[in-house]
Amino acid sequence: MRTKLRRFWKNTLIFLAVMGPGIITANVDNDAGGITTYSVAGAHFGYSLIWSFIPIIIALVIIQEMCSRMAVVTGKGLADLIREEFGVRVTFYAMIVLIFSNIFNTISEFAGIAASSELFGVSKYIVVPLCAIFVWWLIVKGTYKSVEKVFLLACVFYVCYIISGFLTKPNWNEVLKSSVNPVFKFNKAYLLMLMGVIGTTIAPWMQFYQQASVVEKNIKLKNYKYSKLDVIIGAFIVNIVAIFIVIVCADTLFKNGIRIETAKDAALALKPLAGRYCFYLFAFGLLNASVFSACILPLSTAYSVCEGMGWEVGVNRRFRQAPQFYILYSAIIIIGAVVILLPRVKLIPIMLLSQATNGLLLPFVLIFMLLLVNNKRLMGKYTNSKTYNLFAILTVVGMIGLSVALFFTLFIK
Amino acid sequence: MLSQNKTISEKLNSQCMFVYFSQLMDKSVIDSQGELVGRLYDIIVKPTEVYPASANLIIRKGFPNRKYAVVSWHDILERDEKEIRLKIDKPKIVFSERHDNKEELTLRRDILDQQVVDTYNHKVIRVNDIHMLAVDHSLMIAHVDISLKGLIRRLGFEKIVDFLVRLTNRNADYLKTEHLISWKHIQPLSINPVSMTIKVNVPEKQLSSIPAADLGEIFLDLNIKNQIVLFKALDLNSKAKIFMNIDFKTQSSLIEELEPKEVVEILNSIPSDEATDFLEKLPGDLTDKYLSLMENKQSKKLSQLLGYSSDSAGGLMTAEYISFIKGTTVESALRQIKERPYKSEQPQFVYIVDENNHLVGSTNFRRLLLANPQDIIENAAFPRTFFVHLNSSVKEVAYLMDKYKYYAIPVIDENSVLQGIITVDDILSQLISIAWRRLKKIKVKPK
Repeated sequence: MRTKLRRFWKNTLIFLAVMGPGIITANVDNDAGGITTYSVAGAHFGYSLIWSFIPIIIALVIIQEMCSRMAVVTGKGLADLIREEFGVRVTFYAMIVLIFSNIFNTISEFAGIAASSELFGVSKYIVVPLCAIFVWWLIVKGTYKSVEKVFLLACVFYVCYIISGFLTKPNWNEVLKSSVNPVFKFNKAYLLMLMGVIGTTIAPWMQFYQQASVVEKNIKLKNYKYSKLDVIIGAFIVNIVAIFIVIVCADTLFKNGIRIETAKDAALALKPLAGRYCFYLFAFGLLNASVFSACILPLSTAYSVCEGMGWEVGVNRRFRQAPQFYILYSAIIIIGAVVILLPRVKLIPIMLLSQATNGLLLPFVLIFMLLLVNNKRLMGKYTNSKTYNLFAILTVVGMIGLSVALFFTLFIK
Repeated sequence: MLSQNKTISEKLNSQCMFVYFSQLMDKSVIDSQGELVGRLYDIIVKPTEVYPASANLIIRKGFPNRKYAVVSWHDILERDEKEIRLKIDKPKIVFSERHDNKEELTLRRDILDQQVVDTYNHKVIRVNDIHMLAVDHSLMIAHVDISLKGLIRRLGFEKIVDFLVRLTNRNADYLKTEHLISWKHIQPLSINPVSMTIKVNVPEKQLSSIPAADLGEIFLDLNIKNQIVLFKALDLNSKAKIFMNIDFKTQSSLIEELEPKEVVEILNSIPSDEATDFLEKLPGDLTDKYLSLMENKQSKKLSQLLGYSSDSAGGLMTAEYISFIKGTTVESALRQIKERPYKSEQPQFVYIVDENNHLVGSTNFRRLLLANPQDIIENAAFPRTFFVHLNSSVKEVAYLMDKYKYYAIPVIDENSVLQGIITVDDILSQLISIAWRRLKKIKVKPK
């Protein structure tokens, strides 16, 4: 009995040491864009989209697990591996698209910061520059360890969406029923929303970021099972939070037939329906998620690009030693913050562009990943098993189909 | 190696003696009848020489079912800007599904786009292109290119970018400087997955010429797999050098991959204070395991050192020092010093003890050299010897060493038996960490 308990504590300690990359990557997924999508989904379609989060969890686990396995086995980042196996040309174009996609994403994070600052009644001209400076300072002055702690703390704040979910006193029976009962409605709006919800969950930067951070943590093969657990827990947390966002909006806005376009609309509409506290929680959640993602996106981009192009990487180096890294990192933050502060800037086209570039890049990244993870020379005996490969290929094909479809609908509209 | 005439005729034959691997890659390969065989995919080189020469070429054809064929470099008739012509006929060339012979060193798989160690600039770099020298029909790896220009060449934009840069600034650095690094300074890291070794064995010499601290830093830049492989390829001396200069986290992930015997070997060849520093951070069962594998004398010494708190004189000291029993002649002392194998720490102090290892006095090499060879060693000693006790604090030790301008100070126990010495570099690193903490405190304080 005692030895069992001791082993349990030992395992828990190892897990706590390994934990991080999976949970953080998954949570950044609930960024400003994600929250907007989930709010709209809840407000316009009620509980009827909740079931889709179950396949999302599975897809997220399958894809992110492959990344973290590649990181542990090869000790290299995804950009590194793509460069080494597929050559410089492919890497170069992939990185160009990644830069654009992440710039658009960062802009939408800063839009989230601006929106939440206005919800709290503070001018965005104060909050946005302050956040930009904070984000820059955090990464440049921090070490990987300290930054990870800040990020894990940010993950905890997502709990405010869960609290606000309880504040609206939802009908749990109905929630449960609709999460296990897939309802298909064959109208254009419903399908588009469905694609949007699934599409925001898996973005190309996530694979790059997760793999790089597992490499940075230097996780050993014998502790790999804990890393897997980290991925699984992350996927569950992020989707539970997303479900609660849907629930909040379904219980209040959908029941009253209010239509919204952004997360800010959602928060404002919540105020009279669900009360002041629910409103503040919702707005704070948006601020937290936006700042958190605005930290990670520029960092992840600079890391991947420098890795792939063979430039010096790292927060631990000075500007002179790693100029490309710092220029790229700073430029993305500055662009993100400045664009939002421009008068009369339209957000919807930026969000569409970010989705379009994501959709353009994702198929390539996923196919590269499948090729790499099944490469015996790199992975030895840790390639995908046959059944796992079947599921992985199904997921990848599904995700590619979705992102291509989403890509085209954006332009047909 | 290559005669003057040959060089000149080569020059006349083909305008350029140098060619980039990127310019050869995917070039058409034509057989003796003028029919297309496939495209050049990779070049296998002989890694035995300082500048490896091309031995075979790998031809690739077909898509999506790719097939590969290996052709000897001697079968090439000639090579020009457009294509490579072979002496042999197409039917003679056997294509197969795979070409992965892990024992060989090939350019595309093992060097191009991979990370390598630049032993001249002490950095880990990524290869953008390979610069080859045409010598006597074959090609030799001369340099690797790590520049932006190499990157642009690979992307196929070299001419456009060159033109644009020339338009804006005729004398731009970009056009003039070539960022080539000689192959003799390059240590490839590509791994043979079967034997987990590095393919090239010549450059070990170059790695060992890098200062220890820099070598440690290069090492930290590598990923864990490359670290292990590189480490295993080195000799014991370089291993010890690296081991002392990396942080504990990397040390412990390294030893997990090594045989316990190898670990003990390394621990034996680094100064005992470094060894105890490492051992005391390990979990207890591992420490015991390594100690049990050591020679009795060494393990006794280390376990004794492990017993002292790490910020006292006992924890700082090393048990390697030179001592002689009083009454030894200066001549015989000097002879023994010359014969003695030394570990990397080498304070020039010599201690004089009695039969029971009680500290009697101390002297240094200079005094011994100047003394009369027939004299006994006590007569060459310093007039007074200062020492510290096992439980003296870092500050006390530092104070005494500064006051008497010692490079090393002896440590004794309560019975004044000599236990070890503390050298100035150990005390300095302690002081720096104390100073660093203070500096941080000052910085954090609000203005």
